[in-house]
Amino acid sequence: MYPERHTGSLHGQSMEEYRVRVRIFIGIILFATSVLGLQLFRLQIINQDEFREVSRGNALRDLRVLPARGAIYDRNGTLMVHNEPTYTVTLTPRYFDSSKIGLLAQLMEVPDSVVTAKLAEARRWNSYRPSPSFRNVPFEIYSRVQENAYLLPGVGKEIDQKRRYLAEARAAHALGYIREINRAELDNLEDQGDGANEAKYRQGDLVGKTGVERRYESFLRGIPGSAFKVVNVHGLEVKSYQDGQEDTAPSSGYDIHLALDIEVQALAESLFVNKRGAVVALDPTSGGIITLVSKPDFDPAVFSQPLDTDTWQYLNDNPEKPLYNRATMNRMPPGSTWKPFMSLMSLAEGTIALEGANSTYYCPGYHPVGRGQFFRCMGAHGPMNVRNGIKNSCNTFFFEMARRMDISTFKKYANMFGFGVEAPTDIDEQTAGLIPDSAYFNALDPDWDVGYTMNLGIGQGDMGVTPMQLARYVAAVANKGLLHAPHLVDYLEDPGTGERVEPPDVPDPERIPISELFFDVVRDGMRLVMEQGTGRLSQIPDIPSGGKTGTAQAPGGMKDHSVFIMFAPFDDPQIALAVQCENAGFGGDCAAPIASLIAERYLKGELPDTYETRFRMNRALNAKSQTLPELRSKATPESATPGEAASDLARANG
Amino acid sequence: MRTWYRNLDYVTVLAWIGLVTVGLVAIYSTTHGEAQKYLLDTVRQNFERQLLWATICIVGIVIALMLPVRFYQKAAYPAYIFSLFLLLVALIFGREVNGARSWIYLGSIGFQSSELAKVGTVLAVAQLLSSRRPNSSNVRFGLAAVGLLLIPAVLIVLQNDTGTALVFIALAPIMLFWSGLPLNIVLLLVSPAVAGYLTIVYWPAALAFAILFTAGLYWRTKDYRITALAGIFTAGTMATALFALAQVLKPHQVARIISFTNPEAEEFRSGVGFHLVQSKAAVGSGGLFGKGFMEGTQTQGRYIPGQSTDFIFSVIGEEWGFVGAILVLFLFALFLIRLVSLGTQVKHPFGSMVAAGAAGIYLIHVFVNVGMVVGLLPVIGIPLPFLSYGGSALLANSAMLAIALSLHMRRDDFSIYGY
Repeated sequence: MYPERHTGSLHGQSMEEYRVRVRIFIGIILFATSVLGLQLFRLQIINQDEFREVSRGNALRDLRVLPARGAIYDRNGTLMVHNEPTYTVTLTPRYFDSSKIGLLAQLMEVPDSVVTAKLAEARRWNSYRPSPSFRNVPFEIYSRVQENAYLLPGVGKEIDQKRRYLAEARAAHALGYIREINRAELDNLEDQGDGANEAKYRQGDLVGKTGVERRYESFLRGIPGSAFKVVNVHGLEVKSYQDGQEDTAPSSGYDIHLALDIEVQALAESLFVNKRGAVVALDPTSGGIITLVSKPDFDPAVFSQPLDTDTWQYLNDNPEKPLYNRATMNRMPPGSTWKPFMSLMSLAEGTIALEGANSTYYCPGYHPVGRGQFFRCMGAHGPMNVRNGIKNSCNTFFFEMARRMDISTFKKYANMFGFGVEAPTDIDEQTAGLIPDSAYFNALDPDWDVGYTMNLGIGQGDMGVTPMQLARYVAAVANKGLLHAPHLVDYLEDPGTGERVEPPDVPDPERIPISELFFDVVRDGMRLVMEQGTGRLSQIPDIPSGGKTGTAQAPGGMKDHSVFIMFAPFDDPQIALAVQCENAGFGGDCAAPIASLIAERYLKGELPDTYETRFRMNRALNAKSQTLPELRSKATPESATPGEAASDLARANG
Repeated sequence: MRTWYRNLDYVTVLAWIGLVTVGLVAIYSTTHGEAQKYLLDTVRQNFERQLLWATICIVGIVIALMLPVRFYQKAAYPAYIFSLFLLLVALIFGREVNGARSWIYLGSIGFQSSELAKVGTVLAVAQLLSSRRPNSSNVRFGLAAVGLLLIPAVLIVLQNDTGTALVFIALAPIMLFWSGLPLNIVLLLVSPAVAGYLTIVYWPAALAFAILFTAGLYWRTKDYRITALAGIFTAGTMATALFALAQVLKPHQVARIISFTNPEAEEFRSGVGFHLVQSKAAVGSGGLFGKGFMEGTQTQGRYIPGQSTDFIFSVIGEEWGFVGAILVLFLFALFLIRLVSLGTQVKHPFGSMVAAGAAGIYLIHVFVNVGMVVGLLPVIGIPLPFLSYGGSALLANSAMLAIALSLHMRRDDFSIYGY
C-alpha cells in the first residue's frame, strides 16, 4: 500500500524527498494513534479497577427492598394484623408533559388546579426526581393511571406497605403501633453500634413505637434485601444491574402468634362503654395474656395513614389519655383485693393460724387502735378466721394482720407476689408500682407509726399496684403459688420455613415459698366471696370460681375505683383476671360483672343467652366512670382534705 | 470497455462503511437503551436520523464519484467563496447551538456551516498549492495558503467555536508540509503547540522541550536564524502561556484549560472537570472486553454530556472495552494511511493535496477528539469523524473523502500539463 508505483515528482521535489514526506506523514498517523492506544491501555487495563469503582459509585444504587413485616395472629390462629399495599402516584416534573394536566386530573378525579399545584410543589423539591405527589390513592384510580401510563410521561408509581387491622377488637395497647422512625431512635441504633440494625433503618422507615410492634420489632421487621439498579445522571432508575445477578431478596419478618384471644378481647373492649379502666386476663397455667384492655383506647389503624394534627393532639392531650396503657401503668391501691395476699402472708409468717386459739380475731365493728374513729369496719363481724375474713372482707381482721406485721416483711412478701417490681413481661410500657418500706415512711413523716401501715392491710393508703400485677397475683393464688411471667406473645413463626421460635426473655415461673395448705384456705375464702359474699351477683353459671372485690380510694374527691380479681374454674383454673374501673364505685358494681362475663366467654367459647348473662351484662354496661373534672363543663372544687381522706378510708371496705 | 469505477479503492470505502457502522452502533446504544423513556423526543431519534444521513452520504458519494476531475478543480474557489458566505450568514442569521453560532436552518433542517467550510477550504488550498509554477516564490504561495485557512478560522472564532477554528490552523503545517515546505520550517510551526501543551501539563517538561528543540534544530540546520526562531517560538510560547495563566486569563478560563490535567480535583470534578471525570470513568471501567452492548452504566445513565456527539468514543470504550477501542483506532490508522497512499498514487498535485488535506483534517479530529475523551487533552468540542452523531459533519467528511476517492479513481484524467 506504500507508494512504490509512484513515478515522477510533486512540486518539483525530488522523488527521494517526497518518499520521506510520505513516511513522515504515515509516521505521524501511527504515532498519534499509538499515543491514544497507550493511554487507552493505561485507563482500561492498568487502572481499570479504579475507574470501575468510580463508575459503580456513580451509576449503581443499592436499593433496599423492604421485607414484608410479620403478621400477628391471636391464640386461635385468627389473623389480627397484616400488611396491605398503599399506592402512591409520583410526578417527575422534568418529564411531565404539561398538556397532559387535564388527562391526569381526570384520571385522578381531582380538579386541574390540584395537579398544577402538585406539579409546582414537586418542581420546588426536585424536577428530576419522582415526588410522591398523590399518596394513598385508591386502587381503582391507581390502576386507571397505570393503564394510561404510556400517555403520561413523568408519572410514576410507588407501592408501600401499611398495617391493616382485621380484627373486631382493637387491642391497641397490646399491639401498639408503628410510625416513622425519629431522629433519636436512629441515633440510638447507631449508639448501640449494632451494625446490622444500623444498616437496616433509614430516615422515613416505619418502626414499632409501642406494644408488641415495638418489643418484637427486630423479629417483625425481617431483613431488607437489596437490588442494584443503574441510575442515570439525574438519579433516575434506568434498569437492573446485570439482570439482578447481584441482588439479594428480602426475608420477611417473623409472624407473631399471641396468647391473646381476639374474641374475648373484643367482648372485654365492648363492655367498657362510658368507662375508663383496664383488664388483664392471664392463663394461670402459662402466664399467657388472654386479654389486655386499656380504655379509652385508640384505633391503631389511624397510624397507617398520615396522621392529621387534630387526631395527634387528641391522642396526646386528652385528659383521659387514650395512648396510656392503664393495664400495665395505672398505679392505684388494690383495695380489698389485697386481703387474700394479707392472709397468705400472715399464715406464712404464723401471725395467724389455721386452727386453734390463734386462728381468729374478734371484730367489734372497728379496730381498737382507732378507738372506733378511724379504723372502722363495715359491720361487727364477731370472731373472724382467714376464710371468713376474706368472705366478709372484714377490715378489722386485716387491720390486725397488718398491725402484727413489720413493714419490711410486708415488702418482702409483696415483692414475692410481683408487687413493687416490674414484671418480667414482653410489655415494655409498665411501672413497678409502689410498695412502701420504712425508708419511704421515714421520708414521708419522721414520726410515722402503725397508723400508716395498718391502712396497707386493707389495700389502701400509700401503695400502688397495676392491673397487670393484680392479674399475675390472682393467677398465682389460683395455681397455688406459681408466679408466671405474663407475656403477650406465645411463639414466633418464620413464614418461609414454618420454624417456630419461643419468645425471648420469658423466664420460667417462680415458686412462691408458701405452703399449698395456706393457698387452699385463701382460695376457699375467695370461693365463698363468689358464692355468698360480695361477688355472688357475678357468679358464672355452672362454673365455680374464686374472686375478690375491691374498692380503691380515689384522690381528689372522686368516686372510688372499682376493682375485681377472679379465677375460674375453681378446681382447674384456666383464666385469672383483674379488672379495674376508674371512679366507678364499689368493686362488685362494675369490675365484677365485667370479669365474670370475660371469664365465662373464655371458658365456654360463647355467652349463652340467659337471664344470668343479661343480668350481668346490664350491670356491666350501665356502670359508668365518673367524668374527669377536666372534662366537666363546670370546674368543681377538688383536692381532698385530710378529713375527707379519712372518711373515704372508712367507707372503703369492699 | 472497463467500467467507470474500475479504479475505485474499495479498501477505503470498506473502512468508511466500518467507521460509520461503529458510530451507528454506539449511537443506537445511547438512544435505544432502557433509559430511552427519559430522553427528550429530539434526542430519541438520533439513531434514525444518523442512519438517514448515512444513506444520504452514500448517494452523495456515488454522485461525487461520477463527477469529472476538472469539475473539482474549477469548483474549488467558488466552493471556498460559498463556504465563507455560509459562515457569514451563520454568523449573522444563524442559530446558536451549544454556544456556537454556526448553524444555519432551512426550515427544520439545520447544518453546521463550519463543517461544510472544511470541504471548500481544503479544495481551495489544494487548488492554490497545485497551481504553483515551479519557478514562483514558495513564500508567497505559502502565505497565501495560510491566508486561505485563516479567513474561515477567524470567522469560526467569531462564531465562538474555537475548537473547529483550531482544526483549520492545525491544517496549515500539514498541507504546507505536503506541498514541499522544508521539514524544519514545519517543525518550527508545530513547536509552539507542543510547548504550549507541555507548559499546561508540566512546565519543566516544556522547558526541556524548548532547550532540546532549539538545540536539535541548530544541529540539523546550523542556521542561526532558524535556531533563534525556534528558541523564540518555544520559550516564548512557554512564557506567554505561564504569564497568561497567572495574570491575564480569568480563573474560570484557567480552570477550563488546566482542568484536564487533574479533572478529579475537588474544584473541578463537578464543574469543568465533569466531562472528563465521567468520560475517563466510562472508558476505564470498560476494561479489556467492555461491559457489553447497551450494558454500559455510564452510557445508559447518560453521565457523559455529549455522549452521542463529541464523546462517542467513551461509549465504545465502555461497552466494547480496550479491544473494541483499539480496533476502532486501528481502523482509523488503516483508513488514514490508505488515504495518504491514495494521494501519492495521483500524479497530479491537486488530487494528492486533497487526499493529504482530508487525511490531515481527519487526523486532527481523531487525535484531538480521542485525546479529549481519554483525558490527554482539554475539552475541545470537535466531533470524531464518521462516528459522532451529526449530519453536517458526516456529510462534509464523507464529501471530502468522496472527492479524494474520485480524484484517485480518475487520476488518469488529469491534464498532463498539471492544471
